[in-house]
Amino acid sequence: MTEPTNARFPARDLCGTMLVHRRLLNESMTYRARRAAIETRALRYEQGRRAPVRTEVLTIPVVVHVVHDRAVPADDIADEQIHSQIEALNRDFRAANPDVAKVPDVWKALVADARVEFRLATRGPDGEPATGIVRVATDRHDFTVDDGVKSGATGGSDPWPSDEYLNLWVCRLRGGLLGYAQFPGGPPQTDGVVILNTAFGTTGTAAHPFDGGRTATHEIGHWLDLYHVWGDDDGACTSDDKVADTPNQADANYGLPAFPRVTCGNGPNGDMFVNYMDYTDDAGMFMFTRGQAARMNACLEGVRASFLVSPAAKEAPAKEAPAKEERLTRAMPETWRPSHDGDVERLLQDSERLTTEVLNDIRAAIGMVGGHPDG
Amino acid sequence: MTEPDIGIVGEWLHSYEEDTGDAEVYRPARHPFRPSRRPRRGLEFRADGTFVELRPGPADRPRPVTGRWHARESGVRVVFPEGGRVDLTVLSCQDGVLTIAK
Repeated sequence: MTEPTNARFPARDLCGTMLVHRRLLNESMTYRARRAAIETRALRYEQGRRAPVRTEVLTIPVVVHVVHDRAVPADDIADEQIHSQIEALNRDFRAANPDVAKVPDVWKALVADARVEFRLATRGPDGEPATGIVRVATDRHDFTVDDGVKSGATGGSDPWPSDEYLNLWVCRLRGGLLGYAQFPGGPPQTDGVVILNTAFGTTGTAAHPFDGGRTATHEIGHWLDLYHVWGDDDGACTSDDKVADTPNQADANYGLPAFPRVTCGNGPNGDMFVNYMDYTDDAGMFMFTRGQAARMNACLEGVRASFLVSPAAKEAPAKEAPAKEERLTRAMPETWRPSHDGDVERLLQDSERLTTEVLNDIRAAIGMVGGHPDG
Repeated sequence: MTEPDIGIVGEWLHSYEEDTGDAEVYRPARHPFRPSRRPRRGLEFRADGTFVELRPGPADRPRPVTGRWHARESGVRVVFPEGGRVDLTVLSCQDGVLTIAK
């Protein structure tokens, strides 16, 4: 996506930009190639050129790492608070949250059930019984955004295998930051999301106005490859979130805006500030769109396809009522439904194709770097 | 306006709640900031002349952009190696509060 610009610090000149681009390309070429392949796939799903294979609700096993200052017992949040977060996620990702009724009429038809649920893992990485909660007392009072919380060597907690579990770290974060995520395609040892302990769940230490569990909803949105609805272009209208049914909007919205809020000529309905991927208060965000659900499906059937076949996921079957779409599917004759084995086979073929795409992108990138003189 | 001195060296985060009509207020990164979904821009002035700006990132992790800084009569000049130059007018830097003209 387009890198954000900055009003105070102006954009670089073209030559400088190319130098930066080249440096980044050389530093993390594999990551960039992987991201390009993920983006290509997302576009296919988003434009409807490719339909999701998945028909069932996917349950993602979660491990919550509660990393707390041993001198501050209150930071060792209670199980109840953790459960309240999981419940909030299961409402939000199934469009079962009561406040979805507040979505302005003009966007009601776009509200999507992502058909994703979350469960605390009942088995550990070696198959042992587990609660899905890891508690680590540390000498560190707080953490920065350097991923220190994700490793025992730096006072945090080591991740469980990130192709089988969603790792969710809860800790005290410096600077008033609510949380941060990692897009799919990044290093597996830091894959997951980090949430401030007072912005986690809906009970216990969760504090207004971030006590609706929506920080985790937002961060897991990134983990499933969603961008911010304003396109991270720092107030410009040049970049969007690569999802067609979210209006292009200038910048993030904060607090609880009033409808409509028109920017970038997006009237009459204006910014979709009720979207989980904006920056409003927890009480102000309550929907994903169909386009965003398509992007999440592209991610789950592509770079995160391991969750569709992982043994850990099968240990945690969904209990909630099926979504409308699934109820329709269940009403179909058996022969109309795609078989699970067929799904797996197609996904494995897709993984193979994705690998080829990544290799092709790497080859193309190598050609680009090596083939052009400096300038 | 005061001459910037060594007091500016350090890591500062935007305490936007304290901004006035013509000034932005920054506090040391370890200040107990109120939780905020709005990103807090960061300015780090290192003693060796390195400057690191923390800009909003696409996955909510602030994105560092590195340059060089030096004091000038009217404030601070920041130069980025890839091109681009910014002059900051320091209004005051005392008691753990850095104020910069908007």
